[in-house]
Amino acid sequence: MHADELDRTFAALADPTRRSILTRLAEGEATVGELAAPFSISRPAITRHLKVLEGAGLIARSRDAQWRPSRLQVDPLDEAVEWMQSRKRTWEARMDRLDAHLHRRGEQDE
Amino acid sequence: MSDSTRVADREVLITRIFDAPRERVFEAWTDPGAVVDWFGPGHMTTERVHIDLRVGGRYELTMVRTDGSEFPVGYDIVELDPPALLVLRSDPMPEHGMTEPTVVRVELHDHGDKTRMTLVDGPMPGAEHAAAGWDAAFDKLAARLAG
Repeated sequence: MHADELDRTFAALADPTRRSILTRLAEGEATVGELAAPFSISRPAITRHLKVLEGAGLIARSRDAQWRPSRLQVDPLDEAVEWMQSRKRTWEARMDRLDAHLHRRGEQDE
Repeated sequence: MSDSTRVADREVLITRIFDAPRERVFEAWTDPGAVVDWFGPGHMTTERVHIDLRVGGRYELTMVRTDGSEFPVGYDIVELDPPALLVLRSDPMPEHGMTEPTVVRVELHDHGDKTRMTLVDGPMPGAEHAAAGWDAAFDKLAARLAG
């Protein structure tokens, strides 16, 4: 995954309103009005958040329907998860080797 | 714990018990002759380990693949309290998806005559823009996607 895409994904997720929107969309597609309802912010503000999410590829918005419902796109989330998992695997493998190293040193001292 | 929960954590967290006293585990992290023995993956060798063990010093090494290509890694030492604490801040590596530094925090605690190590590596790229921590809403989303 390209660094720019990861940056966009994480930057898009780094906002509580946008995460709430994604949580709502995990239940099914929704219009701007439906998404704005739980928040005390304006529809234009919600639309700006949707543009950020759309730019990160986290949602898709229908071009045809009058109210342009949004729906969740999970691929960037999957890629972000995979990035973190690969990092975790790297450290876990290192710690296995550190453990083996300490055993070898310990045996040498005995 | 689901895989997705780890993204909500923003960080990689690893806890390990090592059958050795803290001094020896700390030495394995900070003695170049020991670091070459474990840092690189199995298919790579670790060479040219340079550790200037002081706050503000550098922690550098080069991993070499079997085809001879090199993968240099560098950190600044930002906190140091032997044999309990080592905090490293990585150099950005934009070609590997790391446009911002991450911080690796290694804490060593006595665990009987063994050592309990916690390692935290993070935050994820882009997370420096976060105005607030990752809240319950995103944890819920991650759990739902995992389910």
